Amino acid sequence: MDITLEPRGPIALLHVVPDRIDASVAIQFKDRFRDLVRDWNGPVVLDLQNVTFLDSSGLGAVVAARKLLGEGRQLDLSGLSPAVDKVMRLTRMNQVFPIHGSVAEALAAHGVAPVA
Amino acid sequence: MSVRDLPSPQQGDPPRGTAPRWSCTRRFEAQPALVSIELLGLNQTLIQLGLPIEHLFALELVLAEVLNNVAEHAYGDSGKGPIELTVTVHEGCIQCRVKDFGAPMPGGALPPARRHSVKALALQDLPEGSFGWALIRDLTTDLNYQRFDGTNLLCFRIDPQE
Repeated sequence: MDITLEPRGPIALLHVVPDRIDASVAIQFKDRFRDLVRDWNGPVVLDLQNVTFLDSSGLGAVVAARKLLGEGRQLDLSGLSPAVDKVMRLTRMNQVFPIHGSVAEALAAHGVAPVA
Repeated sequence: MSVRDLPSPQQGDPPRGTAPRWSCTRRFEAQPALVSIELLGLNQTLIQLGLPIEHLFALELVLAEVLNNVAEHAYGDSGKGPIELTVTVHEGCIQCRVKDFGAPMPGGALPPARRHSVKALALQDLPEGSFGWALIRDLTTDLNYQRFDGTNLLCFRIDPQE
């Protein structure tokens, strides 16, 4: 699955390129996420601004990604579309992840200045 | 195969404004990738109806949960077995009928909605699944399941979202 890693100071910024995380790609999402963060020790921000559809399998994969990082590394979400935000609220998973309106806000929350 | 290659799911004229009723039936194999393609095609068609985007999103989410449940549980992830989906739009409501010929629901009844008190859970105890029926129950009305002659029939309505 097409996810790219952009290092921003201590933060790994992961951009999800496809517009859906659903049952047909949940396993690929988990595998790709695991590969990307394997050698990263800092917090991770998952940029979801391209994602317009997330189902329960996709959500399960995002939760699995959170668990993979363990207690030592934080996973923040940014740029939730209205549909993704609704799934997070209905399942109460919005209580599990710090959620930011944009990548810039997510970086600011970690004390990283946006690129000028 | 791209969405563009699919025959349009619409039958007859696209519904416009006061069109009394619009309906289509699709039959496809129970595989997650095919479910995604069907949902994309259905969305492209229904967006022309002028239904609010929130309504279409609720439909897409519920259908994704229901259809992938059929693929995973009724047909046991075999990737084989037909699903027949009928969607009817009438006076702003969306009625759905999902038929399959796989295993019955456990106990012959719909599973309950599982609700998680996530704040009370340790990180490693967070659920990675079982969200589906809570979402389905939250977003549908008149949810009804019947089993007869080796057939599962699930019917529900998606009312306009608040």
